[in-house]
Amino acid sequence: MNRDLEALSAFLDDETSELEARRVMRDIDDGDLDTLARWQLARDVMHHQPTMAVPADFNARLSAALADEALPVQRPAWLGGMARLAVAASVAAATVVGWQTWEGSQAANGTAAPVMAAAADNRVSRPFGETSLVSQAFMASNNAVVVPASAVPAAQPRVNNMLLRHSDFAARHSGQGMMPFARLVSMDARHGAR
Amino acid sequence: MMLRVLAFSLTLCSPVMALSEVALANTSPAQDQLQSMAQANRSLNYTGRFLYQFGAEVSTMEVSHAVIGGREFQRLTHLDGRLVEVLRRGDEVVCLHPNGTLTRINRKHSGPLALGDRIARDVPAQYNILVDGDGRVAGRATTRMRVAPLDTYRYGYRLWLDNDSSLLLKSEIVDGSGVALERVEFVSLTLAAPLTEQDFSIPETVKESDLKPLEDSHPSHRLSVEAQWMPPGFTSVDQDWRQSGSDREPVAAQGYSDGLAAFTVFVEAVDGGSVEEGVSRVGPTVAVSRRLTAPSGAYLVTLVGEVPQSTAERVIEGIRVRDSQL
Repeated sequence: MNRDLEALSAFLDDETSELEARRVMRDIDDGDLDTLARWQLARDVMHHQPTMAVPADFNARLSAALADEALPVQRPAWLGGMARLAVAASVAAATVVGWQTWEGSQAANGTAAPVMAAAADNRVSRPFGETSLVSQAFMASNNAVVVPASAVPAAQPRVNNMLLRHSDFAARHSGQGMMPFARLVSMDARHGAR
Repeated sequence: MMLRVLAFSLTLCSPVMALSEVALANTSPAQDQLQSMAQANRSLNYTGRFLYQFGAEVSTMEVSHAVIGGREFQRLTHLDGRLVEVLRRGDEVVCLHPNGTLTRINRKHSGPLALGDRIARDVPAQYNILVDGDGRVAGRATTRMRVAPLDTYRYGYRLWLDNDSSLLLKSEIVDGSGVALERVEFVSLTLAAPLTEQDFSIPETVKESDLKPLEDSHPSHRLSVEAQWMPPGFTSVDQDWRQSGSDREPVAAQGYSDGLAAFTVFVEAVDGGSVEEGVSRVGPTVAVSRRLTAPSGAYLVTLVGEVPQSTAERVIEGIRVRDSQL
């Protein structure tokens, strides 16, 4: 239990040092998670962000959804200790997140009024590629439906195509040397950008 | 000034660097380091192998770089898993995909590739750059540098520069809490490698596709992107309109950069049908799509770039599309 609500609040606001974040993560319990969820909701509503509550059994249900797919089990360790891992790994693990969509819903296009958790039913969370996905760690939907990569229509390749153009552009202008191309190569090898 | 040159050459023990410092004595040592780095990355011949890492994913890659007859050549090869290559021959860039196809990323007004050029000229005011200590990468002595953003709209960097050649041997993109989102780290490096144009030839491929420039008369040319909010320091640097393969709609693109980070805003006209809005992140790269309705029609605006998600979402909220015909 994190008795120190101030630390918890700082953690939510990304204002903790890495060390402090580790401590908060280590000590987090169900009560704290409830508190965090309430604060997150309040903050999202205040900032007119679309809101999504993370159901308490989200990890369990995500695991079940993944298990239902006929795919080989994908690093079960990721699912259980996702949040912990994100901080513990030397390179952040919260890196691959699903393609979240608001299908056919014009109402939720960002500028709209806050959408309460109950209204987020039509959200679909998709794996970025066939290798992995995990969820938006703290931003998953109530009804996350994990669609197998094979069912993903043209939308994903289109993004990858943009990635190709962005990489070229970034290589010319960003001062990051070969990084944009390394990124592209890695992503293409993993997901098949076209 | 002499004193400074002396101090600088003492700390770095590198006569080459000391010389460049003499030439550019009105900038800070850290800035000079970056300048030498950009210069070295562009002008030296080398081959090396490095790790590319984000999250628990690690790729191994090989890079060859050479300047032959005044033209820059570079080959980047994915060594594990599927074979992917990016080849650069002068201004020409091609990407070879795992399925044996190839995409030419040519452009009409490509201009010289300015890899790492801009940072060399002026380090953006939104970053604080400092020399952070020593390190060892790929068995070589390096100088560690930190490029810290002064606000929360962008990521920071940690760089390890080879003491002998000034080449960038290791780099990390770090978020606000200091966690690395992505890492590139050389494990071996050969300087002055004997490379010829042969080493950068484009292999035979099954199928080629072009990212073709659109003709000037195409209606998409009337589209322009207007950003109502930009993080300080970001300016629009490039735009183009391209057809990405015969089956796809042309998409207008506008690039923005603060000199280090970059993102690109894509706009495509969509018909009434359902389009996908969403957010996706891989390593430091975020993609955000939003549907936008303007008097001239409906558009899907997508931002792809290496900025925090909050920055991307705020920028995309303020994007407006103009159709110059209306």
